[in-house]
Amino acid sequence: MLLIRRSHRAANAVRTVSPSGELFVASVVICMILAAYGDAVDPSVFGELGFEYALFDLGGEFSVLAMRHWHLLQLLLAGGVMATGIMVLRIVAGAFFRPLEPAPPRNTEKVPIKL
Amino acid sequence: MELDIFSTGFLSALLAIVLIDLVLAGDNALIIGLVARNLPKESQNKVIFWGTFGAIAIRAFMAIIVVYILAVPGFMLVGGLALVWIARKLLTPEGGGHEESHLAKPATTFAGAVRTIVIADAVMGVDNVLAIGGAAHGSVLLIVLGLAISVPIIVWGSKLVIKLVDRFPSVILLGGAVLAWTAYTMIIREPFLVSWFEAHPASKLVTAVLIFSISLAPWYAERLSPQMKPLTVLLPALLVWMLAFEVAGSVWKMQVDYLRATSEGEYFLEGLRWIGWLPLAALFLWAREQFLQRNQRAARDTR
Repeated sequence: MLLIRRSHRAANAVRTVSPSGELFVASVVICMILAAYGDAVDPSVFGELGFEYALFDLGGEFSVLAMRHWHLLQLLLAGGVMATGIMVLRIVAGAFFRPLEPAPPRNTEKVPIKL
Repeated sequence: MELDIFSTGFLSALLAIVLIDLVLAGDNALIIGLVARNLPKESQNKVIFWGTFGAIAIRAFMAIIVVYILAVPGFMLVGGLALVWIARKLLTPEGGGHEESHLAKPATTFAGAVRTIVIADAVMGVDNVLAIGGAAHGSVLLIVLGLAISVPIIVWGSKLVIKLVDRFPSVILLGGAVLAWTAYTMIIREPFLVSWFEAHPASKLVTAVLIFSISLAPWYAERLSPQMKPLTVLLPALLVWMLAFEVAGSVWKMQVDYLRATSEGEYFLEGLRWIGWLPLAALFLWAREQFLQRNQRAARDTR
């Protein structure tokens, strides 16, 4: 732990981390918690309620309940996919909603058309 | 637990060991550099070689011992709890200035230098050895492979490691998350607790969230507004409160499941479990507010 304390950025990683790196690690942590959730849930309870199809048969492998068998590599991969998905969604949603935002009322170029 | 070579489980455990080594095991290079800096040039190379050899040997020996110690009932739980603290320490931002180890004083003789390196490494490598012992799932092969890959990188490529974590601080966060995950798997694999967790499956999720909420607190505390900061204490405390009722229910054979409660006493316990923490949380928030106000007053008075 002493070695990383030699670097200011690494020693203060929680402050200096990039938004994309943070999103990736947060996605990995969410996947880890989901794997713990899959481990905690008793599949028979959902079977009794008739939810089994919705919860653990999405292709047989990719489901919350199957995540209990996932190893670190799979969790990292899933975290990467989730982070990429969220980033793409943010970009798409941003591109969609930005033109809908009204311009500041006192802006001289409120209507960006020049005659 | 035996893992097939090149299976996902094996490669994942190896990745976890290498990642843990990268963030925790860099002390060797630093200690060797600090100890050898006052020696004559010709002795320095010998000290670096034998110091590195001794550091690798002592670390491999300790890691293998840890694998056997972790098989003793109770140690997996203690090791898991220690890893939670290590992960939290890893993510806690430094107060200011580099903290130099008092163990790594510059040496004046060759024998003294090697002895200092080996002792300092044995003392300072406990966290790292514990973490890789937990991540190795009892496989000595994994520990040896992990050390063989990561120790040379750290000893001879410490500048590369510093550059990597400096360019991508998220590696540190990922290391913290992997340590927390290792702590969770160690705690739920504890022989004392395996049957209890099987009887109380929901407690596994509560334990996982509790471990992550404590280990990663320095990270999410940075993103919370001052008004929301008490969450870093309240969330883990609430999860401990819930777990305590589950444990108490098992120890004293009480019914704490609201669907199965029958007597008044059991309903009272249910009420206590779900809303009993509210006055305690309010008391904590009030005490915190008083403490902050007193500190502000003291700061104003000294000005």
